[in-house]
Amino acid sequence: MVPGAFVRVYFPTHEKPRKPGLIHIGYILVSSPVEAMVAYTTSQRWPTGTPLSAGVRLFTAEEAKRLNQSRPFVLRLDVLAKLPMNPQWFPEIEKEGQGVIAIAPSRLQEELTDLATNLVRRRRDLIQMRGI
Amino acid sequence: MATARKKTPSTARDSGATKKVAITLRLDPDRAKRLQILAETENRTLTNYVETALIRDLSLREEAARVITILAAPGTSSTIAAEDVVRGAAESDAAFARRRDLAVDLWSIPDNG
Repeated sequence: MVPGAFVRVYFPTHEKPRKPGLIHIGYILVSSPVEAMVAYTTSQRWPTGTPLSAGVRLFTAEEAKRLNQSRPFVLRLDVLAKLPMNPQWFPEIEKEGQGVIAIAPSRLQEELTDLATNLVRRRRDLIQMRGI
Repeated sequence: MATARKKTPSTARDSGATKKVAITLRLDPDRAKRLQILAETENRTLTNYVETALIRDLSLREEAARVITILAAPGTSSTIAAEDVVRGAAESDAAFARRRDLAVDLWSIPDNG
């Protein structure tokens, strides 16, 4: 599964980081042949009047449509999951298309890589790794 | 020594939808004087100056409390070799180098949860 893909994934929850959660669309930020670092997305709207957290990228309806998604969504680079590439986490990985919804254009991929890099380097002391 | 005491929120200024609660703030005279001078240099009232300073402090605290979370599934590795990072389709050398560095950074974060 290539980096830059929006893909169906059982994203784990904070409460149960070791177990597959509900199905979401995740963004493959980086990957190896056997694992992927996936960013959380949700179609729940960001609360009006609340400043955007570092690492949050809002996608308008128009941008969402270009990524084969029917609703505006929020991508959270501050909520990541490190997952093995298997059907337990990626339900369609063995099917044709592997559950990939869309591949982000190069410019968007670079924007998200840079955003995540800045976040990790600036806020490294605030990163919590949970679940291993 | 400065002390602050919150009044029973009976005294509220109604400015449309937003109601503000009045509080009493007790300060050393010297501090009060210094704050008054600072407020005047910013062309503010002392009340507005103190309110702005408190709001700024709250924002900094909220920002500092925001945490980046990486949820790691069982069996995932704690390191990644740079040569194992997968390259995106048609990704430029520069973009791939940045992605690879990010991967190594992310995988090097220790488990603390």
